[in-house]
Amino acid sequence: MTTVKNIIETKNLNKFFHDPVEFQALKGVNVSVKQGEFAAIVGASGSGKSTLLYVLSTLDTDYTGNIYFDGDNLSLQSKDQLAAIRNEKIGFVFQFHYLLPEFTVLENVAMPAIKLGRYSQEQIDDLAMEKLKMLGLEDQAYKRANKLSGGQQQRVAIARALINDPKIIMGDEPTGNLDSKNSEIVFDILKELKEKYNQSILIVTHDMNFANKTDRIITLRDGEVQNQ
Amino acid sequence: MSILQSPIIKISLRHLFAKKRQTIVAMLGVMFGIAVFIFQAGLMSGFQMTFIEQTVNTTANIRLYNEANKNRPSILSQIDSLKGRLLFVRNQKPKDEQPKIRNGKQIIDILEKDKNVSGVSPFLGSQAIFKMGIAQMSGRVSGVDIVKENILFNVQKNNTHGNILKLQTIPNGIILGEGLADMLGAKMGDNINVISPAGVTLEMKVVGINRSGITEVDKTRAYINLRNAQKLLRVDGSYITDINIKLKDINVAGDLAEDYNEKFGYKALDWREANANIFGIFKIQNMITYLVIISILIVSGFGIFNILMMIIYEKMPDIAILKAVGYKDRDIVKIFLTESLLIGIVGGLLGLLLGFTMQQVVGSIKMDVKGFVSMEYLRFNSSPLFFIFAYVFALIVTAIAGYIPARKASKIDAIDIIRSK
Ligand SMILES: Nc1ncnc2c1ncn2[C@@H]1O[C@H](COP(=O)(O)OP(=O)(O)O)[C@@H](O)[C@H]1O
Ligand SMILES: [Mg+2]
Repeated sequence: MTTVKNIIETKNLNKFFHDPVEFQALKGVNVSVKQGEFAAIVGASGSGKSTLLYVLSTLDTDYTGNIYFDGDNLSLQSKDQLAAIRNEKIGFVFQFHYLLPEFTVLENVAMPAIKLGRYSQEQIDDLAMEKLKMLGLEDQAYKRANKLSGGQQQRVAIARALINDPKIIMGDEPTGNLDSKNSEIVFDILKELKEKYNQSILIVTHDMNFANKTDRIITLRDGEVQNQ
Repeated sequence: MSILQSPIIKISLRHLFAKKRQTIVAMLGVMFGIAVFIFQAGLMSGFQMTFIEQTVNTTANIRLYNEANKNRPSILSQIDSLKGRLLFVRNQKPKDEQPKIRNGKQIIDILEKDKNVSGVSPFLGSQAIFKMGIAQMSGRVSGVDIVKENILFNVQKNNTHGNILKLQTIPNGIILGEGLADMLGAKMGDNINVISPAGVTLEMKVVGINRSGITEVDKTRAYINLRNAQKLLRVDGSYITDINIKLKDINVAGDLAEDYNEKFGYKALDWREANANIFGIFKIQNMITYLVIISILIVSGFGIFNILMMIIYEKMPDIAILKAVGYKDRDIVKIFLTESLLIGIVGGLLGLLLGFTMQQVVGSIKMDVKGFVSMEYLRFNSSPLFFIFAYVFALIVTAIAGYIPARKASKIDAIDIIRSK
C-alpha cells in the first residue's frame, strides 16, 4: 500500500491581528491537503477562512507555527523565495477575477509563465492557448481582459493559475461572485482538473452545495478547525 | 527574451499608454527643461566666448605700466616727527595722468629680444575732446606706433575704412572708433579738432574707422601717432606710459608678468588678471544658468512623481495580482522605475532635439546685436558637454522621481488589496 504524500500541511498555526485590537484569527490550526485531493474550507463569515488561505498561499508571513509545502518549511524561506514558490507551485484564483485590464486574455494567462522564464515566448503563448482551450476560451484569447463577462474572467483566472502546472490550486470563494450556472461551470472545471490531471485543489467557500461535491470539507469556527 | 517582450517593459508601456495625457505632460516638462538649458547655456557660453575673444584680442597679454601714484602714501606720513601718530588725510586724489615709464626705449629693446615675446608696442594715452563743427565728444586718444600696435591687436583687420599705415604717412592722421565717428558725424578725410586736458588743440584728419567689436571702446577710442600724443600732452619724445606685450603662448602670461615686474620694476598686468572681474561675472552667469535647469528639472521631477503616484494608486490591484503570481518586490520597483525612465529618456531626447533646433534657428537670424559686444548673429556654443550634462542630469532626476513611488508600490501589501475589494 502506498501512502499519498501531503502537498501542504500546517503544524499548530496561529495568527494574530493587532489592529484595531489584539485578535487571534487562527488558533492552533493543523490541516493538510494530499496530492490529488480536492478539499474545501468552509465556515461562517469571519471564521478565518480567508486568513488561513492567505497564510497557506505564502502571501501572509505574519504567523507562528509551521507550514510544510512540497517538502519545504515555508517559515524558513525568504520573501523572494516565497515569491518564486508562488510563481512556480501555487495557482491562485480570487473571488474577484483580478486580471490586468490593459492586457489581452492571452497575455494575462501568460504573465506567471513569463516570470518563471522556463519557456520561450512562443512556447508560453502555445501553453497559454492550450489552457484557454481547456477552459473553452480560445476564441477570446486576443480580447482585452476587461471586455469579458464575469464568468469568463474567472475562467481566465483559472487558466492563469494553471499556466505553470502548479502543485496546488488555491481559491478564495472563486464562485462567490458568479451566478449558479457559472459557479457550476467553474466547479466542473476544477473537478475535471482533479480527475484528469490529479491536480491538488484547496478552495475556500461558503457555498455548501459546492463544498459537498468535493473530496473533503475542512470546517473552521472562530479560527479553530472543527473537523477534517 | 527580447527587451520589448519583457513583461516589465510591457507593463510599463501599457501603463503609460493608458495615461497618455499625463505622460505627455510629464515628458514635455523634461523636454522644456532640457531645451531651455541647452539654449540658455549655449547662448551664454557663446556670448562669453565671443566676449573673451574680443576682449583678449584687445587686451595686451601683458601690460607694463608705472603704478607709482596709486595709493601713494600721503606726504604727511613721510614726515619723521609724525611717525606713530594717527594721521587722517581727507580727499587724497591720485594724479590724473599716469606717470611715465623711464628708459622705455631700453625696456622695449630688451623685450623685443625676449624669446617668449612676439610683439611689443609702446603706448601713451590721454583723455581728449573731439570736435567737429558743433559736434563734440569726449573720449581717449591712444598714441601708438601703429605697425607695432597692429602686431598686437590686429588693428587693420578691424578697420572698416582706410589703411592703418596712413597714420605713419599722414602726419596728423587719426583713426576713429566707429561709434565715435558716428556720433561726431565724421567721415573719411574729414578734419576734426582734438583738444587735450593740457590745453593743446591739434587739427587732425580722419584716415581710418575702426570697429573692435566692443561697443564701449568703439564709442570712445581714437588711434593717433605716438608723436602727436606727446604733443597733446606737452611731453618729450621719449615719454610713454605703457608697454603692451604680446606673447607666443598666452598661458604663461601670469608667470612672465611676475618676472617682468621684478626685472623692470614696473607693474606687469597679465590679461587674465586684467579681466578678472569679467571672468567673475561669467562664473555667476554660469551658476544662474545651471540653477535654471536644476529648478526646471526638479519641477519636472515632481510632475513625474505625481503621475507615478497616480498610476500606482489606480493600479494597486495589478500590483497585488503580480505579487500573488510570483513577481518580486524588485520586479515591481523595476516596472515603475522603467515608467519614469521612459518619460525621462523620451522627454530628454526630445529636449535635446528642441534645444539644438532652437540654437540653430535663433543662431541663423541676423540680429546685428549692439550691446556689450557687437555681433551680427547670436553665437551659440553647441558643445556636446552641455547636451550630455543636461541629459544625464535629467535622467538622474527622473530616476529619483520614479524610484520613490516605485519603492512605495513594491511595499504594498497584496492581501490588503485582495481583501478590501
Ligand atoms: N487585516 C485585518 N485586521 C484585523 N482583523 C482582521 C483583518 N483581516 C481579517 N480580520 C479578522 O479576522 C477574522 C477572520 O477574517 P477572514 O479570514 O476574512 O474570515 P472569512 O474569510 O472566514 O470570512 C475576522 O474576524 C476579521 O474581522
Ligand atoms: Mg473571506
